[in-house]
Amino acid sequence: MNARSDRIALLAVPGLAFLAVIYALPLLLLLFKSIQGVDGLTLVTYIDFFSDEFNRTVLWRTLRVALLTTLLALVIAYPTAFAMARAKGIWLTVFLVALVLPMSLGVIVKAFAWSILFRSNGFINTTLQTLGITDEPVRMLFTETALVIGAANVFLPFMVLPIYSVIRQLNSSLPEAASSLGATPWFRFTRVTLPLSLPGVVAGSAFTFSLAISMYVIPSLIVGERQQTLSMLIARSFLYLRNEPLGSTISAVLLVIAIFVVLFSSWLAGRLGARQ
Amino acid sequence: MQPKTTEQDQKSHRYLDVVGVTKSFKGTVVMDQMNFRVAKGELVSLLGPSGCGKTTLLRIIAGLLEANTGDIVLGGRNVSSLPAHKRNISVVFQNYALFPHLTVAENVAFGLRARGMSSADVKAPVADVLALVRMDSFADRPVSALSGGQQQRVAVARALVVSPDLLLLDEPFSALDRKLRETMQIELKALLRSRGITAIFVTHDQEEAMGVSDRIAVMSNGKIEQFAEPSVLYAQPASPFVMDFVGLSTRMSGRVTAQADGIATVETGVGAVRAHAGYTVGTMVQVGVRPELITPDPSAEMNQIKVQLNDVMTLGSKTVLHGISSGEDKFLCELSGIRTGYARGETVTWGWAVADTLIHEVAA
Amino acid sequence: MTQTDRITIFFAWAVGIGCIIFLMLPIVITVATSFTSSAVYTLPPPEWSLRWYKSLERRSGLWDAVQLSLNLALISTAISMVLGTMAAIAVARGDFRGKQAIATFTVSPLMMPGLVVGVAMLQFFREIGLRDAYWSLLLAHVVITLPFVMRTLLASMGAFDFSLIDAARTLGMSYPRAILKVLIPNLAPAYLTGGLFAFLASMDNYPISIFLTDARNKTLPIKMLQYLEEQPDPSLAAMSSGLILMAIVVLVVASRTVGLNRMIDT
Repeated sequence: MNARSDRIALLAVPGLAFLAVIYALPLLLLLFKSIQGVDGLTLVTYIDFFSDEFNRTVLWRTLRVALLTTLLALVIAYPTAFAMARAKGIWLTVFLVALVLPMSLGVIVKAFAWSILFRSNGFINTTLQTLGITDEPVRMLFTETALVIGAANVFLPFMVLPIYSVIRQLNSSLPEAASSLGATPWFRFTRVTLPLSLPGVVAGSAFTFSLAISMYVIPSLIVGERQQTLSMLIARSFLYLRNEPLGSTISAVLLVIAIFVVLFSSWLAGRLGARQ
Repeated sequence: MQPKTTEQDQKSHRYLDVVGVTKSFKGTVVMDQMNFRVAKGELVSLLGPSGCGKTTLLRIIAGLLEANTGDIVLGGRNVSSLPAHKRNISVVFQNYALFPHLTVAENVAFGLRARGMSSADVKAPVADVLALVRMDSFADRPVSALSGGQQQRVAVARALVVSPDLLLLDEPFSALDRKLRETMQIELKALLRSRGITAIFVTHDQEEAMGVSDRIAVMSNGKIEQFAEPSVLYAQPASPFVMDFVGLSTRMSGRVTAQADGIATVETGVGAVRAHAGYTVGTMVQVGVRPELITPDPSAEMNQIKVQLNDVMTLGSKTVLHGISSGEDKFLCELSGIRTGYARGETVTWGWAVADTLIHEVAA
Repeated sequence: MTQTDRITIFFAWAVGIGCIIFLMLPIVITVATSFTSSAVYTLPPPEWSLRWYKSLERRSGLWDAVQLSLNLALISTAISMVLGTMAAIAVARGDFRGKQAIATFTVSPLMMPGLVVGVAMLQFFREIGLRDAYWSLLLAHVVITLPFVMRTLLASMGAFDFSLIDAARTLGMSYPRAILKVLIPNLAPAYLTGGLFAFLASMDNYPISIFLTDARNKTLPIKMLQYLEEQPDPSLAAMSSGLILMAIVVLVVASRTVGLNRMIDT
C-alpha cells in the first residue's frame, strides 16, 4: 500500500516542480533581494520606503481602497446571495448569467466601460441630470469613490459566488428548527444563518481584498496618475522610472501583505471550520 | 367554532384541535377540510405512504407551512395566526437539524436562549435534560462527532427543555439502523410518558407506529382513513387501504353471491368465502384475513380455499407460507415456530374462522 | 412566514436585482457605445453606425495580438490540464502529509499580486538567460491558468468515486487506461469549467504579461491598453464588444454542455 501511495504522490511532482521553479522561486528571490544589502542582510530599502511620506500615503490609500471595495462588495453580495439561493428557473439563470458573464470578460473591458460611465458627459451624469437629482455634472472620474465603485463592480462575482455556494448547501431544516424552538427572525439570523454563512463571507472577502490591493488596470483607467496605488507605483518604477531596486522593494511590500492576507484568511477559515 | 379556554378543555379530548384545514399547492388541493384531535398526554402517529400528506399536516401544525383555511387550537389557544416561533410547539426533524456550529449543550440551550434566558440561567435545565437522555458527558462536544442515535437524543433534549405544549417528530427513527431503532423507541416512549408530553409522530413504518402510539391516524391522499388504537386498526381495519397498510393479510377480490342471516357469501377465484356482513347480492368486495389466523388444517365449519404454494420461508420464530398470487390477490399464512412438510408447488387447503374474515366493498 | 421574513426576502430580492443591473451596466454601455457614429463616447449616440467595427481592420497589430493571446491561452490551458490532472489525482488519492499544503500552494497564484509575480518572473528569467518573449509568456501563462484548473479539478476529484477505477481494473484495464477512459470522461464538466475560466484568465491577463512582452510579442490586453493611450476612440468599445461576444458564445456552449449551475459549484 505504501509503495502505491508513493507512486501516486509522485504524480504531483511535475506540477509542483513547475510552480516551484517558475512561480515560487522567483518570488522568494525577489524577497531575498529586497533585504540584500552591500554587506549582508539589511532592511535599508524598506526603511527608506516607509520613511517617505508619499509612499506611506500610497500604502494607506491602497489598503483603504481595498477595504472599502471589499465592504461595498460584501454589502451588495450578501443579500444577493440570499436572493439567488431562493431563485428558481429563469430567475436563477438570470443571476448566474449576470455573474458569470462579467467574470468572463476581463478587467480591461470593464475598467474601460466604467471610465466611460464616470465621465462628465457619461451615462451616470446624464441620467442624474435627467432625473433632476443634480444640476451640474458631478466630477466622478479620478475620484476614490469612483475607483471603489468600479472595483467593487469588477470583483463582485468573486464575493457573491463563495457566499452563494455556502448558503446553497445550508440544511434548510436549520432555520426551521430555530423557529420551532422559539427564535425570532432576528435571533435566528444572528445565531444561525449568519454564523453558518461566515465561511463563504471569509472566503469571498479574502479573495476580493487580495484582488483589490493588487489591482492595476482599474485604478489606471479610473483615477490615473493623480491617486496612485502600490501596483501603479511598481509599474511606474519599472516601466517609466527604470528604478528596479525601488520597484523590487515596493513589490516585496505588496507581496508580504498578500501573503499575510492568505495566511490570515486560512487561519480564520480553519477556526470556523473546526466548529462545523 | 369558538374555542373555550376552560380547565375542562385542558384535560378533555381536545387538547390539540385541527379544524377544517385545507391546503393546496399550485392549484392542486392536497388536503381538504382536515379535522383531527389529540388528547393531552396522548402519543399519536400519522401513518401513511409518502405523499399522503402526513408531513404537510405536521408542518401546518408546527407553523412552518400556512394552511389555506382552518384553525389550529392548542390547549384552548388558537395558534393559527401565530408564527412558528410563538406557538411553543417543538419539532424533532428527520435529519435532527442540530446546529453544526454549536456544541451539544449550546444546541440544547438554544430554545431557552431564544426565549431570553441568560447563559447562566440555562446551565441547570440543560444539564438536567441532558442527564435525562444520558448525553450529559457529551455536553461540550461538537455535534459532528456524534453518532445517529446520539444526535437523535440531543435533538429530543433540545425540543423538550423548552417545555413545549406539543412535540412533533418527523420520522425520527428512519435514519437509525434496526436494532438501535427499537431501543430508541422504547426510551423515547418512556421519556415522553414520564413527562406527560403530548406528541405526534410522522412515520411510514407501521411497526414503528404500532410500537409507540396510543392511537394511529392512517392517512392516504390527504385524508385520514382511520384513527384508532393499533389493535383496532389491526383487527377491524375500516378500508382495504388500512387493511393493506397496517399489517399483512391474505386477500382476495370477489362478488357477493348470497346473503342470509347476517352472513355474506363471496365467490372468489379460489373458493367461496363467508363473512359476518350485510351486503346486497352482486356487490364487488375485497375479503381478507390476517395470516396468523389461517390454519393449513382447517375444520369443516371454517372458510376453506385452495392455494398453490410459491415459497416457504423459515424465519425461526415463524414459518411463512406464500401462495401463488394472481392480480391483486395475495396469499400468506403464518405459522408459529419451525414447521416442516411444506414444499413449493404443493396445493394446500387453508382455512380460517368465518368471524375472522375482513370484508370491504370496493368499486366495481 | 412572518411579516419580518417577508420584508427581508423582499429586501434581498431588491438588492439582488439591483446587483444584476449593476453587473450588467458596463457591458450594456460598452456594446451601446460601440455602435456610435461619433468619435466621442456620448450616449445616446447621435446616430447608430458600424464604423468603429470596420475601423478595427485598419488597427495595426490587432490581429497579431489576438492570435498571440489565443495561442498562449490554448496551449497554456492544455499544459495546465495535464499537470493539474496529475497533481489533483495525487491530492485526491494520495495518503501523505502535506496534501492540503500542496492544494493551497497550487491555487495560491490567484491571490498573489499579478504585477509582483510578473516582476519576479522577469528578473528570474533574465537571471537564467531566458530572453525569448514568447517562451517567457508561455511559462507565465501556465502559472496563470494552473490555479483555475486545479480549483475545479480538486473539488470534482474529491467528490469522484474512485471505486469506479477499481471496477475498471478488475475488468481488465490498466491503471493509466482506466484514468483515461473512466476518470477523465466523468470529470468532463470540471475540465470544461476549469478550462474555460483558465482560458479566459489567460486571455485577460495584463499585470504579469506586461513585464514579459517585447515589441513583437504583445498580447491582446496589452495592445488594447496601448490603443487606449494612443488613440482612445470608440473602436475600443468595438474591440470590447468582440470580446463580449466571444464570452457569450463560450458561456452558451458551456451552459448547454455543463449547465451554468454546475459551473458555479466549483
